[in-house]
Amino acid sequence: MSKKNTHRNQGKPSPAPYPAGTGGTTPDPVAGDPAFAELERLLAQGHSKPALELAKQVHKRVGTSASEVLLIKAYVARIRSLLNSGLAVEAKALLELVRQRYPSAKGALAEIGVDVATRQESLDDLLRHLNDPGLAPERRAEIETTIRRQLTDLGALAQSPVLPAEHALRDAAARLQKACEAVTTGPVEDDALALPEISRRSPLAPWKMLVRAIAAFYRPDDAACEHWLQLIDPDSAPARLAPALRAMISRHAASGLKPAASFLIAQVGGKMDALRGALQSLDAAFAIGRRKQIVPAIQNAVRACREACPDLVDRLRQHIGVYAFRADITYEQVREAMGGAPRKGAYFWRLMARQAEDPRAMACVPACTMWNEFRRHAIHEGWFAADGPEVAALYLHMADILQHVPREDLGDLQQSFRDRYSGRSYDYMDQAPSIREAARKYNEDDFYIVFPEQLYARACAIDPDPEVFMRWLEWARQGSGWKLEEEAAEAWKRALPKDSRPLLRLMELAEKRGALKKALGYLEQAESLAALNPEVRRGRLRLLVATAMRHIEQRKAHLAERDIEDLEALPQAREGDRPAFLAALRWTVCVLRSDPDGAARHLAQAADLIGSRVAVAMVTSGIADFCKLLDRVTDRYYNRNIVFDGKESLAAAVARGCALGDDLGWPLTIPPGFEKQLLDELKRTPGAMEARQLRLLAEAALRLDRRHLAFAASGAGLAKGGVTEARFLLLRGRALPEYEPERRDQCFAGAAELARRQRDMGLVDEAVECRRGHSFMGAFDPLAKGSSSMSTDQLNKVLNREKQAGEFPPFRTRKFESPFDDEPFFDEDDEDDDDEDEFDDDDVGPVTPEEFDEIMNQLNDLLGMGKRRGPRHKYRRRRPGPPGQPGPPRPPSGPGQGSLF
Amino acid sequence: MERQSTLGPHDDPREILGVATNATDEEIRAAYLKKVKEHPPERSPAAFERIRDAYEVLRDPRRRALHLLLSADPWAPLASLLADRAPERRFVGPAPWLAVLKEK
Repeated sequence: MSKKNTHRNQGKPSPAPYPAGTGGTTPDPVAGDPAFAELERLLAQGHSKPALELAKQVHKRVGTSASEVLLIKAYVARIRSLLNSGLAVEAKALLELVRQRYPSAKGALAEIGVDVATRQESLDDLLRHLNDPGLAPERRAEIETTIRRQLTDLGALAQSPVLPAEHALRDAAARLQKACEAVTTGPVEDDALALPEISRRSPLAPWKMLVRAIAAFYRPDDAACEHWLQLIDPDSAPARLAPALRAMISRHAASGLKPAASFLIAQVGGKMDALRGALQSLDAAFAIGRRKQIVPAIQNAVRACREACPDLVDRLRQHIGVYAFRADITYEQVREAMGGAPRKGAYFWRLMARQAEDPRAMACVPACTMWNEFRRHAIHEGWFAADGPEVAALYLHMADILQHVPREDLGDLQQSFRDRYSGRSYDYMDQAPSIREAARKYNEDDFYIVFPEQLYARACAIDPDPEVFMRWLEWARQGSGWKLEEEAAEAWKRALPKDSRPLLRLMELAEKRGALKKALGYLEQAESLAALNPEVRRGRLRLLVATAMRHIEQRKAHLAERDIEDLEALPQAREGDRPAFLAALRWTVCVLRSDPDGAARHLAQAADLIGSRVAVAMVTSGIADFCKLLDRVTDRYYNRNIVFDGKESLAAAVARGCALGDDLGWPLTIPPGFEKQLLDELKRTPGAMEARQLRLLAEAALRLDRRHLAFAASGAGLAKGGVTEARFLLLRGRALPEYEPERRDQCFAGAAELARRQRDMGLVDEAVECRRGHSFMGAFDPLAKGSSSMSTDQLNKVLNREKQAGEFPPFRTRKFESPFDDEPFFDEDDEDDDDEDEFDDDDVGPVTPEEFDEIMNQLNDLLGMGKRRGPRHKYRRRRPGPPGQPGPPRPPSGPGQGSLF
Repeated sequence: MERQSTLGPHDDPREILGVATNATDEEIRAAYLKKVKEHPPERSPAAFERIRDAYEVLRDPRRRALHLLLSADPWAPLASLLADRAPERRFVGPAPWLAVLKEK
């Protein structure tokens, strides 16, 4: 401080007395001055020099007691900064100057005065005071505080000649010095660190905690280390080691460490830390993707690995090899940078196969060939046996991968693979003999790896489990033709001869293609295994129905009657609405025999049993159609006097008829003329039908590709809310037209999400399958493979939109949209939301007799004209759904579908 | 509510139980029992949960097989290769430690 300044400041008014402490409180008038705030900020950040300059300027400008308080505060900070920098002489000179210039600041300068005084003194000078029996307690406390804060050399204290040898401080310092040396040079038992002579109040107590923390660090017991670190007084000298210790515990590079701390970490961590750093740099280089950075980073990482963990070099090369493969760096470059080729064993091929499965760049065939390499090497390396469950799991996994190939492309792909694939021998050119040996060892024809049926067959041969066979069957079912399915079921039957399920499947397949005798043979085998199985019992019923209808079709009335008698003898034929179906069969036989009286009797019986004239009309017309008898059905076979009570719901009756047909394996047709009335009824009385009726109606409509009807039925179902919402949202998605791909996808995703929340995993699978099948880009659409999870908000948006959508979407071209945009879903359709308001409550009501007559007329017209609804073929009863959709739902498996109503 | 597994995507249940890749069912069970003895639930519940979850994966041959195939993560950070390696903690004597204290 210059003399000039001293004189200038002496002219300032004397400030108010300062409270003791670090500058006292700041009087309020300065609070609004931005310079004061800036000053506080500088002090808080430890910038004492600019803070002091600013404080001087402010005090010169303002000259109040408040500004002087801040100025003293800035001086104290500056003096402490000088002390910390080892400039004790300069600190003392500045302190003297401040004391002289601001005598009233004595209290504020007291603490820093002690620090300056003790720093000026040597340790011995400081300790010498402790020999004075009359030493004031305050002075003793100051000295001890200084020792706690500044002592960094235990040896100096332990050997200080100014204290008697038996002095407690000397003794404690000696013990701590010994302990410190012990914990940093080798493992130490806890007992050796008890140090009971060092109390918690001792100025050396932080050292005791530090020694224990270091011991815990080496043990290694990181929790204990942290515990002891927390007990170290943060103002004490030992606390300076805490950041370095914590950095070593966390294994993360700490920023802001001083050189000595960084040196300590490098010394203790050794080469492992260097390796970790090199790997992190390589990760960063791969993330950036610049070849110029990647290659040297590979060199560094491999070098560091060789030094720190030589046993890890092979593994590291394998991982780098995979990373580099996707980073588009030539293999030769990588190999050179790594100082050798990656070992292409099982571990390597597993990584390669997994990266090839990346949905962003799914490459099915390369992935399968890589998995095959993995299999070979894994067996060779003893990971698992050639016929172990791992191999079966692998085959199934490869078959799953191939499901990403559209079925229609699979044949071409297989042919191309046969023509072009010549193995991966080029991958082994630079490999060790042991690896090359493994690659040669299994040199069989590996073309099967792109043939799912062969993969399934191999998996089932190794692991003949029903679940595995079911996966095979499920895959086969998705293809065209029955041979693949039959092959799978036959294999299942051979492998598990006591299982009735393959027999039932074989029976169904035979039944589908009209081989009823063969089907009966399978059924009898199934009955011998599990006669009480509901599926077997239902199979007998269905097969007898099919046989009876075949005989009617063949105009063999006597055989058909015998079949019907056999049917009637079955207990399962008496359940639910099934007797009505048998009555309808008898009606058909009467038509065949030209027996109008018998026909009328059986028709009335069927109507009594099912309680619905419309349902009976649907069933009888359906059977007549299947049996090619439509041309024989005339007015005399329909009794128009069947009682119509005026309360019947057309939609409910149609749903009931559909349910009965499905139950017995004969999906019935909804006469086209019904559609308008059905749509009207669903609009007028959306809540009149039960959820299961609506579901049956929607499913029948979908089976017949009547999307408007399915749309309306699913809407009525959605309006009911509750647990069936997921099912109706799925049906809504299926009902939507092809030109609404994103809306359908949202419905499927919503259905999957709802089903997931209800833990209905079967429905989740259905929704996922629909989503995959309807995907705009087919199997390669990332949306189809992506997660179908939705937030509650998204789900509610979709649900509300579909509940409010009253009209089937009109045709329009739409640009492709992201499924979960934040934009509101389909604004255009919101205009349609009020459509339902067009109907008055008065409109709600059952079908009127006039309407019913109209319906019956349409049905009779249909029957009388002998119309054919498209070409009939043998597989009609199991008509698959539209492309990309799952086939028709299976009829209810349990008995008593009549209980649905 | 189904209990959430404590195993992460990069955890190798074989390493947790300390068994070889081709360990038999008996070896896996023996290793599990040994580990449970070392880490009983009342003393180290977290370690016990991991051991139990690892055993749950390995005891079922199909689950074990699937885990073997799908556990490899080609995109795991390379630094994670050191995740299972205990960091080196070398004894370097008191001098570098005390140097930190002297640095202000």
